[in-house]
Amino acid sequence: MNAKANITRALLAAGAGLLFAVAPGVRAQQNGLQHANNFTSTEYYGPTNQQQIKSILSGAEALPQPGGLLIIKQLKLEMFNPNGELEWVVNAPECVYDTFKGVANSPGHLQVRTGDGKFRVEGEGFLWRQSDSFLTISNNVHTVVENGAIMNTKP
Amino acid sequence: MKRFSLIVIAVWCGWMVHAQTNVTAQSSPASATTNSPDATPPPRAPTLIDSDNSADFDLNGHQAIYRGHVRVDDPEMKLTCAWLVADVPQAGGHPNHIVAETNVVIDFTDTKGQTNHVTSDKAVYLYSVQNGVTNETVTFTGNSQPVMENAQGTQAGDVIIWDRANNKIHFDNPHMILRQNLNGATAETNSPPVKTNFPPGTIENTDKNASNHIGDRPAF
Repeated sequence: MNAKANITRALLAAGAGLLFAVAPGVRAQQNGLQHANNFTSTEYYGPTNQQQIKSILSGAEALPQPGGLLIIKQLKLEMFNPNGELEWVVNAPECVYDTFKGVANSPGHLQVRTGDGKFRVEGEGFLWRQSDSFLTISNNVHTVVENGAIMNTKP
Repeated sequence: MKRFSLIVIAVWCGWMVHAQTNVTAQSSPASATTNSPDATPPPRAPTLIDSDNSADFDLNGHQAIYRGHVRVDDPEMKLTCAWLVADVPQAGGHPNHIVAETNVVIDFTDTKGQTNHVTSDKAVYLYSVQNGVTNETVTFTGNSQPVMENAQGTQAGDVIIWDRANNKIHFDNPHMILRQNLNGATAETNSPPVKTNFPPGTIENTDKNASNHIGDRPAF
């Protein structure tokens, strides 16, 4: 999700001639986007909180495709709140990110969990909308809430 | 003098033995409490939420929406419905708002082992802590009256409020269908059910063995 947002930003930055923040084995592409292995992209909060990390996106591989698409493999996105606390962690074996529309999707597996790990979701097939951090999981949605986090137990 | 010294030593030794005995006696309960296997309750099994169809997650708003055949499987309760929205708590927090809609069915078992079955169009869970007081309710509503069933009979109302914090259930405009209890056992008869119209309000003392006052609070 945010990973995708980060990817988007990273891709746009790459298209503008910038590099992924960490990109061993980066090679230039004709369209300006770049192929990256074992990359990491860090996004910071805006001018009011420049030192604070907003998200960290990492992946095993980013493959530019025609039409502004990017295939990302072994995606991991970590999202932080302004206080520096880890809020969400997203993992997907593979997804396609549309750098123009700011959306990512995949027919494959997706895992999402909160920073404390007490709320975990997985499912098959997803669509991520970067503009409002909205995620839709298409099928077989399975959620685990640890230790009565949803409901109180006994008085 | 020797005799006096022996007496003093004997008294001193006796006091020491007594003191040690007291220390042992005083420390025993503490160590027993510390080593008690009941000191640390076993971890609670997780709550599972499954849906065959899609689910939406607003990561900024910390909200999850499940659609389709939604099932909630909790160690103390099972719920099914067609649509469920839950606030996802921040780290370390507690969810305060969950709504289940359309064909809501909840089954839970109280401390007496009695199974309670509730059906309604809508169920709303609210949780809050105000001035150190925990408020936790589940409110059942709908176009068709929500109904609660257990071994003692069936109770319906325009609104059923399950006050989990106080282990009470409140019915608005209640209607009760009671099964006759013959010879201490629940009897199934062919006679039409007896319907009783109670005035609006809490009917918690109508049948303390029924679901009006629950000894346990199963998880939602």
